Amino acid sequence: MAGIKGLFTTIRDLMKFSTAFRWGFIVLILVVILAGLSWFSPYEEDHRRDTPLSKPPLTEISIGRDADGERIYSRTLLGTTSQGQDVFWQLTYAIRNTFIIAGTAVLIGRSIAVVLGMLTGYMGGVFDRILSTIIDSLIVLPRLPLLILIASILRSDLTTLGLGVMLGIMDWAHPSKRYRAQVLSLREREFTHTAVFSGMNPVKVVVREHLPFLVPFLLADVVSGFLWAIGMEVTLAYLGLGQLSVPSIGSMLYWGNYYSALLVNQTWVIIPAVLAATFTVVGFYMLSLGITHYLDPRTRLTRLGVSEK
Amino acid sequence: MTLLQQFILPRLLQWFIVLIVGITLIFLIPRMSPVNPVQDALGRILQNQALAPEDVVQMRDQLTANYGLDGSLFDQYIRFWTNLLDGDLGPSYGAYPTRVNDMIGRALPYTVALLTFTTALGWIIGIIVGTLAAYYPGRVTNFVSGVLVVIYPVPYFIIAFIFLMALTYYIPYFPLIGVFRGEPGFNSEFITSYLHSTFLPAVTLLVSGLSFRFIMARALGTAELSSDHVQYATMAGLPDRRLMYSYVARNTMLPQITDLGLSMGTIFSGALITEAVFSYPGLGTLLLQGIYQADYNVVMGITILSIIAIATASLIVDLCYPLLDPRVRYR
Amino acid sequence: MLRKSIFVVIALLLLVPALNVTAQPSGLPVDVPREELFVMDQIFRHPVVDNFNGWVNVPQVQPHRHAMIFETLWYLDQETGDIMPGASGEPPVYNDEYTQMTVTLVDSLKWSDGEDFNADDLVYTVETMKANSGLNASGWNSQLNQFLDTVEKVDDYTVTFNLLSPNPRFHKLFQARWNGIYMMPEHAFSQIDDLVAYTYEDGPVLGLYSPEDMDPNGYWTLFKRREDPGNSAVCQYLMREECGPPYILTILYGDSTKKAIAMSRGELDAFFNVDFEAFNSVLETTPTAQSWFPDFPWAYPNETSSRFIRFNFDTQPWTNNKDVRWALALALDIVTLQTEYIGGVAKVVYMAIPYTPKLSELYYNDERMQTWVENLEIDVAGEPYKPYDATVADRIAEWADEQGYAMPGPDAAASYGSGWWKFDPDTAATLLEHNGYTRDDNGDWWTPEGERFGFTLQATPDEPDSFRTANAAADMWSDFGIDVELQGLERSVWSANFNIGQFEVDSPWTSLVLPDGDGWPNLRGRHSRYYVPAGEHYNSLGGGVPERLQDPVLDELIDAMESVHPEDPQNVTLMQEFLQHWVENMYYISTVSFKKFVTWNELYWTGFPSSENPAYMPLYWFQGGRFSLAGLEPVGG
Repeated sequence: MAGIKGLFTTIRDLMKFSTAFRWGFIVLILVVILAGLSWFSPYEEDHRRDTPLSKPPLTEISIGRDADGERIYSRTLLGTTSQGQDVFWQLTYAIRNTFIIAGTAVLIGRSIAVVLGMLTGYMGGVFDRILSTIIDSLIVLPRLPLLILIASILRSDLTTLGLGVMLGIMDWAHPSKRYRAQVLSLREREFTHTAVFSGMNPVKVVVREHLPFLVPFLLADVVSGFLWAIGMEVTLAYLGLGQLSVPSIGSMLYWGNYYSALLVNQTWVIIPAVLAATFTVVGFYMLSLGITHYLDPRTRLTRLGVSEK
Repeated sequence: MTLLQQFILPRLLQWFIVLIVGITLIFLIPRMSPVNPVQDALGRILQNQALAPEDVVQMRDQLTANYGLDGSLFDQYIRFWTNLLDGDLGPSYGAYPTRVNDMIGRALPYTVALLTFTTALGWIIGIIVGTLAAYYPGRVTNFVSGVLVVIYPVPYFIIAFIFLMALTYYIPYFPLIGVFRGEPGFNSEFITSYLHSTFLPAVTLLVSGLSFRFIMARALGTAELSSDHVQYATMAGLPDRRLMYSYVARNTMLPQITDLGLSMGTIFSGALITEAVFSYPGLGTLLLQGIYQADYNVVMGITILSIIAIATASLIVDLCYPLLDPRVRYR
Repeated sequence: MLRKSIFVVIALLLLVPALNVTAQPSGLPVDVPREELFVMDQIFRHPVVDNFNGWVNVPQVQPHRHAMIFETLWYLDQETGDIMPGASGEPPVYNDEYTQMTVTLVDSLKWSDGEDFNADDLVYTVETMKANSGLNASGWNSQLNQFLDTVEKVDDYTVTFNLLSPNPRFHKLFQARWNGIYMMPEHAFSQIDDLVAYTYEDGPVLGLYSPEDMDPNGYWTLFKRREDPGNSAVCQYLMREECGPPYILTILYGDSTKKAIAMSRGELDAFFNVDFEAFNSVLETTPTAQSWFPDFPWAYPNETSSRFIRFNFDTQPWTNNKDVRWALALALDIVTLQTEYIGGVAKVVYMAIPYTPKLSELYYNDERMQTWVENLEIDVAGEPYKPYDATVADRIAEWADEQGYAMPGPDAAASYGSGWWKFDPDTAATLLEHNGYTRDDNGDWWTPEGERFGFTLQATPDEPDSFRTANAAADMWSDFGIDVELQGLERSVWSANFNIGQFEVDSPWTSLVLPDGDGWPNLRGRHSRYYVPAGEHYNSLGGGVPERLQDPVLDELIDAMESVHPEDPQNVTLMQEFLQHWVENMYYISTVSFKKFVTWNELYWTGFPSSENPAYMPLYWFQGGRFSLAGLEPVGG
């Protein structure tokens, strides 16, 4: 509870404090709204041939027939793909699915990372040494080739959610090392010693004294996890691995490329997906910029000083 | 003595364990693939011709033996280590009877040249521009950072494709594939054609690498500028330039050097996507092909190289850290 | 110092491209004048660059490399179905029992080093390959041991093969569509200790070209025409002293987009295939480029293979129900599939036999087959039903007419292929209902077991027509009320799935017969004795049935074909019976023939086969492609 409440206060403070965070937050809200629109899409997620093929943005297209058999016309906002899908609505699904993939990856990856990082950090000793060696062995494995390998081993069994899980499992070794370092430094800080000497329960020390420091750090780390997961999703899709019939930013790019969109000047198929990826990442980047700034002890002191007045 | 025992030896031991565990994993994972390299090769042979079934079976046995895939998993594992310690990575399946050593040897210089150059150049430019941007915030630097921050998240292959379309199609200036003329070596024919062919992949990698480095350098620089000792130095009236060299640049170099060391370690798995887009004959294209053809030996060869490189790079960084940062002592 | 270093870096950055301007090399890797150099798509990257030994068992696909260097006895042309002469100009002669085969060689061929080619070379080749198990390319060593007893030289240009058992198809080992036993130069090879390790980079060749230069990275190879082209089989067949371009460069640029760009830059004279979109941009950007037809439907329609929908008979019980398979076929609208999905550019087929001039004559337009298919009746809930619809080609012709396209062939059938099954969802519904399937108010189908009727349909986007066939089927079956999930899979993933039988329905390609109409070589592995259950690799026993089909009627027909000479009319009759049984059971839902946008650019070279010049197939990557290359002439030369 304390953690969640802390999260909200942190976000509120951040909004007040950092322009970058504010902009990032707005951009991301827009992207999330776009993803949310997918639930209102007139087309089904994996349907093809709902619209005429390869029409540029803002053209009038027939989108079906009404009860009397008359054609219904409508303007397509971002054009249609070579498979007969409306780019705008595809994009909403794509963002949603990519968020699901990246979200799952981050959730799983960071959960493992936090637990292991805290365990190794607090427990230390032989346990720490063994676990750290295992983590180090995993870190040296080149991740992209491994991902491609595993994706081609899992083949059709790799669902959208499965991809998220796989990315999560691949992305905890590095962060867990960072958490461990963070915990180690917290453990050595004065207030920890003070708290322990004053007879505070160790669990309480962790929850009350350390979590407030770890949560913002986690937030910044979540951002980088998101970026990595989106990048990997896009890369795997480019190579034709994963569920290509399910729209995601990666699969939109794959199909655009498959139908030679750049060669035949159908850029409207590619550009929205690229922009979506860019906006998402820039949004997250600005968030993390705000958070980093916010975490900086000196600015934090100034801020506290200001708010006390 | 204590230095060796307490600091260097444990790290060496860990390096060693990490290698064994990592290499064992990379031995096992491809073998879980349902793509059977023998069947895959057989599929290619039988693709366009019909063969008597008896001959298919005989051919399969022959290929299995040629590939060294006969015997139990344990036998293969033992054989794998015996060969590896001899420095032999075995034959490639897709390019049988070529040895994986030869294939890697052929591709390695291309990848290493490309990636060392782009990583180093991106590192240098990124740090210089990033530090400057942190030091002189203003309209120009904001614009530059804006551009680089936007480029950073654009997927690699999109950047690659834009360059490809622009400079091979609309302006047909650069070649479509790596065209290397003359004997590889230090002669003008080879170097000219090399530069000509490598320009596009290099620029792609540079742009992406640079934007990441820039963002990191600027963040570190900004943090350093607001640190106490720089604030004191400014108040003490130290000249700007001096301040930048002696404090900001120097103190932000440490994490950058660490990071450079680690990035150099990752060079050996190649620039997969960029190489694929530009048909560049490096380790990345080799690896990708190996994965698709279930060419375990190629996949293992390249990843082992990569594992050794990353582990060694981080070992070196670890060992050198105390030399660079006086605050950290060997212990 | 800082300013200086920035300056240096910027200067360096500018210098790199500037350096190039001064010496801008062409995008081609070799410095041969364009009027002497034909540049063609290499299709893949050669994994092994410097080994030209075509006799050892290596898994690389490299026939067009072989086609330039090697010579075997005969070739199959896929356009005409003809057997073309190689080192032998006459068909083989068998004795009545098919235990002895006699071959007459062309008596005027020479190796590129000036030595005569004669019976000694052939005998040496056969004996060496039979004796050395390392020389097992395409299973030749094991097949020679399986079928051949002895080989004898009768005179300098006549050789007799004594077979172990009656075999009317022994000569097929030397009759290449893709591969055939290549002649070895006895005078050179007898000096070599280890023929398995020999790389054959500069040995004497019997073909028209020898390797001259190559990319160590496998992206290109340069071939040079031999000094005495008049002594090669192909020039002699064309009755010319000189034939073919002096140099041929095979090069791999990459995917369709890059091939299209390369052609627009004048750096590629012929490519084997690209996707439809890239082909259109080639037509726009390269005015001198053309495929088989100068206009619609452009693509070459006669490669010997065809697209179809395949069921896995080992996974789901419903796949074994003939009625359900027929219902699925009747729920497809072939005209829409061929026009909207395939773009009207491939010929319709109702069986896995491509609609080439020769094969359509044997298996579609033959009177017996015509009568059979037109009167074919299937049982629909106790009532006979005629599913055949002969108007398909005409309706496609109407569609093409609406698009403003002229008919490419003499009539609709020659242009757009055979008839197909009626698009009749009502009858399809009756068939399903008769088998206990029910339809709910939404029009969705439910199985007799009370589950939603649906399946996954796997296809690889890498094979555009197969993938688009799957797209069409998935869309149409979904409209019909079946819950179809289309899975687009990376190629190696897709083939790994069907290899071990992990699919319900997929979309592959094949031909049940060879270009000359002979079925047995392709069918022998389909015999039930090679059946392996799903879960294991389908060819574990050497067989070739990924769909895990077992049918005693087919087995009998395969056995009957084995002892018939391929050119015996009886062979065609047996094959027709095979096909009739196959179609009546709807084992495959065949859709269209193969087509390839094999495209060439007339900027530097002319004379490539086309619909106006259809003497040979344009499929240069098959062995018979040697004839299309040999006929090239420089433009203005």
